[in-house]
Amino acid sequence: MPWPDIEIIDADVLVLGGGFAGSWAALRAAEFADKVVLVDKAYVSRSGASAISGGITTCPMDGDDLQSWAEEFISRGSYMCNQDWTWQLLEGQRERVQDYVNWGVPISRNPDGTIRRFASRGMINVRGMQYKPKVAIKELRSRIAARGVSIVDRVCITELLTIDGQWPTTAGICGAVGFHVHTGRFIVFRAKRTILATGMISMKGTHGVDNDTGDGVAMAYRAGARLIDMEFTFGGTFSVLMKNMHFPSYNVAVAQGARLINSRGERFMTQYDPQRLERSELSCVVAAFAKEILDGRGPIYVDLRHVNETYWTDILLLNRGNNVLLSDRIPNPRETPLLIEPTWGLWAAGRAGLQIDLKCRASIPGLLAAGSTAKNDATGTHASAGAPTAFCYVSGWTAGETAGRESRTCDLPDIDRATIDALAERTFAALQRAPNANSADALHDRLTAMEASLINGLVLNDGRLRAMIATVEDVLADMNDTKALNLHDLVKLHEVAAVGECARLVYATALDRTESREQFYREDHPEVDDDNWFCWHGTRRTPEGMTFERIPIPDKPGWLKRPERLSGLGPIAAIMTGRPEELQLH
Amino acid sequence: MQPIEIDWDRCNGCGLCLLACPVDVFRMSDANKAVPEFASDCHVCHQCEDDCPTGAIHVAHTITSSRKKSIYDQPGLELNFVDWSAQSG
Repeated sequence: MPWPDIEIIDADVLVLGGGFAGSWAALRAAEFADKVVLVDKAYVSRSGASAISGGITTCPMDGDDLQSWAEEFISRGSYMCNQDWTWQLLEGQRERVQDYVNWGVPISRNPDGTIRRFASRGMINVRGMQYKPKVAIKELRSRIAARGVSIVDRVCITELLTIDGQWPTTAGICGAVGFHVHTGRFIVFRAKRTILATGMISMKGTHGVDNDTGDGVAMAYRAGARLIDMEFTFGGTFSVLMKNMHFPSYNVAVAQGARLINSRGERFMTQYDPQRLERSELSCVVAAFAKEILDGRGPIYVDLRHVNETYWTDILLLNRGNNVLLSDRIPNPRETPLLIEPTWGLWAAGRAGLQIDLKCRASIPGLLAAGSTAKNDATGTHASAGAPTAFCYVSGWTAGETAGRESRTCDLPDIDRATIDALAERTFAALQRAPNANSADALHDRLTAMEASLINGLVLNDGRLRAMIATVEDVLADMNDTKALNLHDLVKLHEVAAVGECARLVYATALDRTESREQFYREDHPEVDDDNWFCWHGTRRTPEGMTFERIPIPDKPGWLKRPERLSGLGPIAAIMTGRPEELQLH
Repeated sequence: MQPIEIDWDRCNGCGLCLLACPVDVFRMSDANKAVPEFASDCHVCHQCEDDCPTGAIHVAHTITSSRKKSIYDQPGLELNFVDWSAQSG
């Protein structure tokens, strides 16, 4: 293909996204493939949620009774797991933790030098550790570079390439196209295997990780890959102090003894989950927060007066430097409870995403997925502190190995010039448009405004979901005539397309699910309906449009048996309707 | 409000902040000084501040995104803010 005017980069393995999942994937793939290319919209090691995460990961070590850990993950995940994945996660994570130890990544230690481990939020048996994520991801970048992986920073991928030039495709994926966000250079990546690791879906201005806009999920959906449990995308955490300051990590704080109290000074979680309290499912804590406020006991405060002393020393040692808790911008947190609130919206962390098998292969040939772009089958509907990052490492590692091995037995596909030209034209179309009243920023504002209401993501019903779908469709229609003022603006416009597409399919999948379960609450269907909904919920784009499937969860020999069928109110329904005693059923 | 302040006397033009920013806020000026050209996109992750070798960057703790709305500013909520400093712990 001698096309001098177009830059083509060939890869045995193409990895899209340079956070933990993509970096582990590239590192592992390079052991099996000669030409591994890692592309990121920002700079590998500083992009997405990885470097700025709270720094908790699941920490299995030699000698642990992993049976009890697996049972806890599986039961907390409502048995909606692939239990073989649960074991693969735990055994793989034991090796990844050991890698961090060997690389000298800073990890919180006991006085005797052993790794300090603690019960993860929502868990009793499973243990997590705290480490410095910025150092871990930087170490990964240098190891990837040393292995000869070609790292391509600041390229915004706009579409996956399909073998048959069709979207959706049945033939498979053979790379991707995108543009350099500073130079505007159009690049075609032609690949034998493509790994999507573009992180979570989040709307700008909601969670403080504004470059995770669900790009990979949206592209995979357009290409026809099956997505699983997209309605479980809704999530979030307590991340805002004093109305407009970032709270560094709720998980770390509650692991160290932080409490939540209402305006009467009551530790209100005793009313909702007396055993796990603030370390209950995040969705339950957020619902309890909402209920306290709606019942006139707000606002809510985080009380750090009783935390372990290690909380304060670890902040200095492990977290990012400029921590508001150590600044003079707020009252002294050792003496005064601080106003706190959650963000809640599109934020999957593994509960939703591309369907993958044990080898991390997606449902269409040539495509794999890892990290938060994939549905984490190891922990089902539950995303405990530490499990999402553990899944990033282990699924990344696994995807890298699978892609690397498979790339040895296939050839690079031919690509069609007319298809490439059409993709290039679509990528840059917004730069050529005439200006109008719309802008990329204004479109993001309209999407994010839906998430300003906690209730929009927490208390769903038919009418609310239909209204949210209509809003998204309006935004996507307006996007098609919006001008990009420059390349920076063009990236943001492609991000409108990605996050808007993701929101539309999350809301549509939520509308299809006529029950309540785990953090998913339909006001108009408040009860758990195991007869119809104990399954994986697939969403896929076919020539007929958006198609839903219910995929049975197998009952394999050797798998933990589900003790009983669930019935009654879903957990969020129990909290929001003032019957928290029923929460204990789940 | 501008969330990022850069002390150009301290900025040595190394460009690490350009790498550190996930949302691509910075550009380099002709005088080889970092400029937060797209500061309104800052999501206050502090990575530029952390990675700056000369301490030239200061990022405000306050979230300046116009998209960020506090739950407590929504109308219709009956809130009873507590002055904890007036109470003993």
